[in-house]
Amino acid sequence: MFLALHEMSRARVRFGMLIGAVGLLVFLILTQQAIEGGLITGFVGALRQQSAPVLVYSVDGQRTLQGSVINPGLEAKIRGVNGVAQAGWIGQSTFTVRVGGATESDAALIGYQHPGLGDPSRLSAGRRPVGPAEAVGSAADFAIGSKVRIVASGPAAPTAPVFTVVGLAKDAQIQVTPTLFVPWAGYEAAVKAANPDATIVLPSVIAVRPVPGVADTELVDRINAASADADALTRAQAASDTPGVAQVQQSFQLIFLLYGLVVPLVTGLFFLIITFQKAAALTLLRAIGARSSALVRSLLIQVVLVVGGGIVIGIALFAPLTLVSLGAITIRFDPGAVLFWSVGLLVLGVASALVAARRVLAIDPLEATTGGGGL
Amino acid sequence: MTLVESIDTARNALEMRGITKIYTVADDVVVALDHVDLTVASDEIVALVGPSGSGKTTLCSIAGGLLSPTDGSVVVAGKEISDYSGRQLTEFRRDSVGFVFQTVNLIPFLTARENLLVVDEIGRRLGRVARDRADQLLEELGLADRAANLPAQLSGGQKQRVAIGRALMNDPSLVLFDEPTSALDSNLGDQVVHLIRNEMKARGTAAIIVTHDDRITHYADRTVHIEDGRIAK
Repeated sequence: MFLALHEMSRARVRFGMLIGAVGLLVFLILTQQAIEGGLITGFVGALRQQSAPVLVYSVDGQRTLQGSVINPGLEAKIRGVNGVAQAGWIGQSTFTVRVGGATESDAALIGYQHPGLGDPSRLSAGRRPVGPAEAVGSAADFAIGSKVRIVASGPAAPTAPVFTVVGLAKDAQIQVTPTLFVPWAGYEAAVKAANPDATIVLPSVIAVRPVPGVADTELVDRINAASADADALTRAQAASDTPGVAQVQQSFQLIFLLYGLVVPLVTGLFFLIITFQKAAALTLLRAIGARSSALVRSLLIQVVLVVGGGIVIGIALFAPLTLVSLGAITIRFDPGAVLFWSVGLLVLGVASALVAARRVLAIDPLEATTGGGGL
Repeated sequence: MTLVESIDTARNALEMRGITKIYTVADDVVVALDHVDLTVASDEIVALVGPSGSGKTTLCSIAGGLLSPTDGSVVVAGKEISDYSGRQLTEFRRDSVGFVFQTVNLIPFLTARENLLVVDEIGRRLGRVARDRADQLLEELGLADRAANLPAQLSGGQKQRVAIGRALMNDPSLVLFDEPTSALDSNLGDQVVHLIRNEMKARGTAAIIVTHDDRITHYADRTVHIEDGRIAK
C-alpha cells in the first residue's frame, strides 16, 4: 500500500485522468445498458407483463401482435389441444387517442377476454378494470383517472369509447407506444369505432394456460404439433422472438464487447507504460530487497483503485440519469447490471495489468549496478 | 573450521574465498572473477580500485547478494550466502547489506524521508522505531530540513546523502558503494566521502567503495586493486 498510494498521491493528475477516463467509460456502458433495457422493454414490455403463460400466434403473423389474426377454425384447434386449461382472446391495435384535453396522439390497446389471461400480471398503482370502459395504462405514460378518448371520424365519432385509467403497470408498453390494457368488450368497441365497417373483431393471439402438471414449453410443443398454422410461444419467447428484439440486443452486445476491450486496453497500456517509465525505481527496489510479489501487489492495488475509482465515478454520473426518461424510453438503475459490470471491469482491469506484472517479475536487481532497469 | 577461524569469521563483515564468476555469452566463456579472496573486517573501509571491466562491480554484486558466484564461498556477517536461493538473497539484501549505487539511488515519487522509510516498508515494518531512525539519520546527514523534498528538489550531494541514509536504514553489517562520487564535482565528492567515512566509523560498519577516484583511497583503511578478475598482490 505504501508504494502504491504514495506514487498515486505524487502523480494525481496522471492517475486522476485515468480514473476519469475509466469513469466515463463505465458511465457510457451503464447508460447504454440501461438504454438497451429501456428500448427492449418499450418494444415488448407489455408481452413480458401480461399474465398469460403461453401465447399462440398465427404463423402468418410473423410473431407480431398486430400482424397476427386467429380465425375461428384455428382457435378451435388450439382450444382442443390436450393440456389446455383455459384459453382466451387477446387483441392489439394502435389508435389515435386524445388524453384529457390534450392534442391527439397514438396509443396501443391490448384487449383481453379473461382477467388473469392477458391483463398485466402486476399493477404498480390503482386497481384492475371492472367494466369495459376502464383500463390499466403503462405507468410511464398515464396517470390514474386519465380519460382516454378514441378518436373516430364519421358516424361512429359520437359513440367512440372513452377509457378511464384505473390502474397502472410498470414497463408495460408495446412498440414504444403508450399502452392500455382493456377488457375485450372495450377493445371491440374501440376497433368498431375506428373501423365502422368491421363486422367481427378477431383476436390477434390466443392466450393459453396449461392444466396443472403440464409445463408451458410442453403445451407450446403440443399446440405447434396440432396445427401448422399455429405458432405457440411461451411468454418469454414471445418477448424475445418479437422481430427486431434480437437484432437490437446483438447490436448492443457488439458495443459492449468493444467497451469490454477498450477498458482493459486503456488500463493495461497505462500500467505497462508507467511500469516502463519507473523501471529504474523498480530495479532499485528489487536491489535493496523488495520482493517481486510486493511490487506486483503494489501494481495490482493501483489497478484496483483506478478501476474501482472509475466505477464509482461512472455510477455517480449514471445514477442521476435514471431519474429522467429519454422520450418514451425509461432509463432504469439496475443494481444487477451495475454489479455485473463493476465486477467484470474489475476482473478485466486486473487481467489487463498482468502484462505489466510480468514485466515487474522479470526485473533483474543486478541492473541497479549499471544504472539500468531495463525491463 | 577451527575455533580461531570461527571467531575471525564472526568478526569480519565479509569473507570471500576462491570466488569465481563465469559468464557464458553465446559460445564464449568470460571469466569475470578468477579465484578471488577478500576479507573485510567489521569496521573496515576498503577501497576497491581497478580499470573498467576488471570485475569490481561483479565482486561487489556477489558480496551484496545481487549475484551468485559460480564457485567459492561468501560469508557476510557470519552468514554463508553463496548457496542462497533467489528469495533468500532478496531477504539478505533487505536485512543485512546497504547499497549506494552509481546512478539511480532514489525512488523519484518518494520524499527524502520516505526513501529511507521504504526500507522498513519492504522489510521488518517497525513503524514508529523506523520513523524515528529515519528522522535521526536525516538529522545526522544534515537533511532534516529536506525530509519532505522529492529527489527532483534535491542537489546531487543531497541525493547522495539521502542514498547513504537509506543504505544505513536497515543497520547493515556491510555497505557497498559503487562509484559514489562519479556524478559529483571534486569538492562535493570530498564532502560525500568524508561523510561516508564518518558515518561508517561512527557505527562500526564495514564498507567497500568501488571507485576510479584516487582521492577516495585516502579515506579508506585499505585499498584493494583488482585487474582481469584477480586481486592484485
